[in-house]
Amino acid sequence: MSFSQKAIERERKLKLFFFLGALVLLILAIAMIKNVFISCLMAFVVYFLLAPAVDFLERKGFSRTWATAFPFLFLFGSLALLIQAFSPALLAQISSLKSDFPKYIDASTQFLANLENQANLIISKVYPMDIRANLQPQILVLAQDFFKNLPDYLGQSITIFFLTPFLAYFMLQDGRDFVRKILALVPNHFFELALNLNHQIGEQMGGFIRARILEGALVGSVIGIGLMVLGFPYAIILAVFAGIMNMIPYLGPFIGAVPALVICLTNIHPNSTLLWLIFIYALAQVLDILLIIPLVVARIIDLHPVTVVLAVIVGSQAGGVLGMIISIPLFSVLKVSVSAIYKHLTDFRS
Amino acid sequence: MVNFIWENIFRSTDKTQGLRQRLRDNILFQDLSSTELRLVENIVNVRHYRPGEHIFRQGEVGVGMYIIMSGVVNIYVEEMQAETAATYVTHVTQLKSADFFGELALVEHEGRRSASATAHEETVLIGFYKPDLIEIIGRNPSAGVKILLRLGEVLGTRLRQTTARITELKKDGRGN
Repeated sequence: MSFSQKAIERERKLKLFFFLGALVLLILAIAMIKNVFISCLMAFVVYFLLAPAVDFLERKGFSRTWATAFPFLFLFGSLALLIQAFSPALLAQISSLKSDFPKYIDASTQFLANLENQANLIISKVYPMDIRANLQPQILVLAQDFFKNLPDYLGQSITIFFLTPFLAYFMLQDGRDFVRKILALVPNHFFELALNLNHQIGEQMGGFIRARILEGALVGSVIGIGLMVLGFPYAIILAVFAGIMNMIPYLGPFIGAVPALVICLTNIHPNSTLLWLIFIYALAQVLDILLIIPLVVARIIDLHPVTVVLAVIVGSQAGGVLGMIISIPLFSVLKVSVSAIYKHLTDFRS
Repeated sequence: MVNFIWENIFRSTDKTQGLRQRLRDNILFQDLSSTELRLVENIVNVRHYRPGEHIFRQGEVGVGMYIIMSGVVNIYVEEMQAETAATYVTHVTQLKSADFFGELALVEHEGRRSASATAHEETVLIGFYKPDLIEIIGRNPSAGVKILLRLGEVLGTRLRQTTARITELKKDGRGN
């Protein structure tokens, strides 16, 4: 029995079509179903976070099931304990922040108005501005919407809270088999490329996500401890916010510090508090720059700073804060894929 | 003359075995325990090829090796003459069930295939690639070391044979 090159080519195209179709359907299903996209993102984070521990236990002789179950129970048990320990203080801080919020908006717009007055003194004749009138209604609407939609956010969070561990557990337990089954659909001609690409992306993403989580946790902890020692209000909320925002390259640390500075200026704290506040935020960043970035992050993602900023801007336009956070990992996946496929199309055929 | 480097000097005799047995019979995996072999079995990739279908081409970047489960694989080298731009194909060898090839790609970084491989008939191959080896080293370092030691042995043997053959050729050259 002999197969013509035409028949082989036809079969290859058919296989490629089915593989790409399955991939697109999977991505669409994840993106379209409510809450599944964010749950999948969170599950990936948990997966990459726990994978080294699971592999370590497997090396020690545990079965994959037990090697998955132990770190999983440890992580979610610790999270549950943390939530239980901090939830009364956190809820009190949220309720206090809710009642004080109009005050902070007034104060920030007043601050902006002062800035505007000073700016107008210089450039009013060239470019007249009315920041306060333009910005205050928008901030008010944004704040009102946030607190009005808070129950919805909480509802979504609960769905995500249950869906994420479920997905993460099966990613850790059966993820490799699943990927293997998807890869089995790849035509022979592209199989080595697809396998290598999958390996490279996995390695890069794992390192990147672990480094970012480590950074966020370090920055959040330093700020949280510092604010608590300082006796500053909303220490937990501000620390969590700064930790999450820190995942946005370059801009994140500044965004993370804004709420604390607004609160400090609004409550008319003494100048020493403002200085201490700046010191705490700067210390967190210095530790991040000195310890985490050179040791972990810089080795993982080799992107030029201009590329990083452009990717963050595109991410913010496409998906707000979430878009800014996931823009860099997505961009680096794109970079790895494009360069590997380019290499395959040029080098491989040489 | 040119087929010695591609010849399977570690060929086993039984040709009708399943995946586990085929792996166990291969020199790379022969030191593994049953548990370790089960891990490898779950990691390797079984691929099916049509007669005439390319497995890889000369000059491509290689990612791993192949063990023949069933079928026949032709190995050949293509050479282009600069003056006439004509391509000459030299048949190197024909590999059969239980033979393996392409193992150099497991240790080389973006090394290129020195010959092309094509399925001669309906062929089933076990693909064992560098990411698979890295996964085994990560999940079971002991199994990884056993495979690497055997891989070193295979490459060493091939190198020794190549050196011996080059020496022979040089002697022949002097004799003529």
